[in-house]
Amino acid sequence: MLAEYFPILVFLGVSTMLGVVLLGLGSLLGPRRPSSEKLSPYECGFEAFEDTRSKFDVRYYLVAILFIIFDLEIAYFIPWALALDTLGTFGLFAMVIFVVELVIGFFFVWKKGALEWE
Amino acid sequence: MPIIEITFYLFAAVLVGAAVMVISVRNPVYAALFLVLTFFSAAALWLLLEVEFLAIVLVLVYVGAVMVLFLFVVMMLDINLAPLKEGFIRYLPAAITVAVVMAVELMMVLWVRGKFGSEAFESPVPHPPDYNNTKEVGEWLYTQYMLPFEVAGIILLVAIIAAVALTLRRRPEAKRQDPARQVQVKRDDRIRMVKMKSETKVEE
Amino acid sequence: MLTLAHFLTLGAILFCLGVAGIFVNRKNVIILLMCIELILLAVNMNFVAFSRFLGNLDGQVFVFFILTVAAAEAAIGLAILVVLFRNRKTINVAELDDLKG
Repeated sequence: MLAEYFPILVFLGVSTMLGVVLLGLGSLLGPRRPSSEKLSPYECGFEAFEDTRSKFDVRYYLVAILFIIFDLEIAYFIPWALALDTLGTFGLFAMVIFVVELVIGFFFVWKKGALEWE
Repeated sequence: MPIIEITFYLFAAVLVGAAVMVISVRNPVYAALFLVLTFFSAAALWLLLEVEFLAIVLVLVYVGAVMVLFLFVVMMLDINLAPLKEGFIRYLPAAITVAVVMAVELMMVLWVRGKFGSEAFESPVPHPPDYNNTKEVGEWLYTQYMLPFEVAGIILLVAIIAAVALTLRRRPEAKRQDPARQVQVKRDDRIRMVKMKSETKVEE
Repeated sequence: MLTLAHFLTLGAILFCLGVAGIFVNRKNVIILLMCIELILLAVNMNFVAFSRFLGNLDGQVFVFFILTVAAAEAAIGLAILVVLFRNRKTINVAELDDLKG
């Protein structure tokens, strides 16, 4: 069972090695002759006006929150779909109630206009 | 089979190292990225235990959604980092003391009393190749835990409503299009015919 | 050979790191939320290990519920954080000492 995951482990190892080796070779073999001119900040010939870290408005974050919640809902679907054969009608109605709960939430979000881009 | 132990120690080392970085780096963006590494290593360790479904859910839900939200929020807030990190050195001795005392206590329970070693719990038998962890979880979840499952749905519903109520705000200054009104526009709404005399020639 | 104690030790270390993180980062709410996630991950690690070594699926179902509640908690916590920052222009815990909003 675990042996099936061995290729993934090999893949992880090889990709990590590749990244480390390439970066290490670059920093070891590359010529590095820093001077004060080279290290000074450069922005179209001027000194930098302000810090690069400035706040910007990600309007998407409400969508991101809703995505988490519906992502979890999908995560609940997967074992249910696999086990439905043995669960029968009982499992079907359990999921129907669950989906109805979330559809109520979905209509709330929709009617509130939270999905609209303005 | 020593490769399993090697893998365990490798991922455990990455997990602990990344967790240390989460609590010690200055920049919250780096902290969020190290938390991603922590969750990823934890998922790998759960795969070693053959708890496949939860490992995948951890990567999908946590790495894929929750940490993205953390990064969004970190980038949205214009945080002055210097005052947030003051007191790091001041509280470090207290933190180390509490952490070491708790760790020693837990280790005493785990190793000195010795009820959790291989003599008490033998290693689980590896699952046969046709074993389906997700299916087993589903069969258990939707029969024994039907009621908690519906309650989880209610919790998610409450989370949706709370998120919308807290963060949704209208922007009255935003200009927006209304396609329904756009297509309903008649010619007379836009064009006004003006009758006027033709201009006379200006005498110079 | 991997024993239950290996995984429980890892969970214990992770838990202590999360608690230590709450101590040293007590000014920054975002890092505090991340430390709570670390602590929850430690608990989940113990649940998963016990579930597997006892041959009982209850632990895994519990971890699934904990993941659900923790994700909802992170979503609402971050939403509160955003509203807080919008009103007060800071997320420093030391400055959030007014009762009136």
